[in-house]
Amino acid sequence: MQISESEVNGVTVLGLSGRLDGLAAPELEKKLAEVVAAGKDRLVFDCSGVEYASSAGLRVFLLAAKQLKSCSGRCGFAALTPVLREVFSVSGFLDILEVHDTVAQAAA
Amino acid sequence: MKPLTFTEEIVLLALDDQTGAQLPLPVTALSYGLAGAVLADLAVAAKIDTDEKKLVVLDATPTGDPLLDPWLALIAADKTVHPVAHWLSVLADRQREIEQPALERLIDRGILKRQDKKILWVIGLRRYPTVDGHERTEVRTRLGQLILGEDLPDPRDAILISLLRGCRLTDQIFEGPEFAAREQRLATLAKMDLVGREVASATTEAIVALSTAMNASVPHM
Repeated sequence: MQISESEVNGVTVLGLSGRLDGLAAPELEKKLAEVVAAGKDRLVFDCSGVEYASSAGLRVFLLAAKQLKSCSGRCGFAALTPVLREVFSVSGFLDILEVHDTVAQAAA
Repeated sequence: MKPLTFTEEIVLLALDDQTGAQLPLPVTALSYGLAGAVLADLAVAAKIDTDEKKLVVLDATPTGDPLLDPWLALIAADKTVHPVAHWLSVLADRQREIEQPALERLIDRGILKRQDKKILWVIGLRRYPTVDGHERTEVRTRLGQLILGEDLPDPRDAILISLLRGCRLTDQIFEGPEFAAREQRLATLAKMDLVGREVASATTEAIVALSTAMNASVPHM
């Protein structure tokens, strides 16, 4: 999985590309820890390149949302691919996480 | 003290506070719950990963936890990739081998005590009451607040709620009208972990199968 970092409207955007599986999840968790440690409290995951997400990947997403909320921040998930939207739907993430159609909407 | 594993937490929460007897659960529910707890422990230890179709081993090296390593070795030794449901079924058949070491560890930790009784002076009955109920109260309070509130769960609590609901323990642990009114919230939280969802499916299937078999065995008038 490739992870890119950018900023939109002062919001940190992590662009994800490839498979978010048990091998990639630790890398994303490490990146999340860096973002939180840097005091950034607005985070958007650009999920337009996510080809696959396993349970390990979903746990990192939930951890991110929980950590940002715990420090009065916000965490959004934007541009879900159909495969990721399906996984979010089955696991109830669509009901409980902040999901947006585009990165621009998530960072507004 | 090291935090409890999911396996220990399910064993602990499946016991009655006062008597130490196992709470009344549908047939096979606890065996699937414990099987799911083992898989969840291996998943958070980054030893396995799951999706809707399969369970894969990420790292077959032992965790160092004797409650988990026999099962990691068993899964890793199978070169065929199976879905989660397969491993739930395999581990559910080994319930005693999962449950007994977890009970022993809870006793070693000073959380449970062993109590042997006799019924009618002959039949031996072993119970596991808590020493002071602190751990059980703590987890019940924490999860109860999560169900009654609107906070996001952390991944660990999401897994535990999912496992508890999957094996029908939430019906026993979270009683009362305030929890009944939060059934939808509980259902949403319980959906968040795949292993817990599979435990729920396996438990429901076992209940339906038993019910069908019992109906078939009743003579028709």
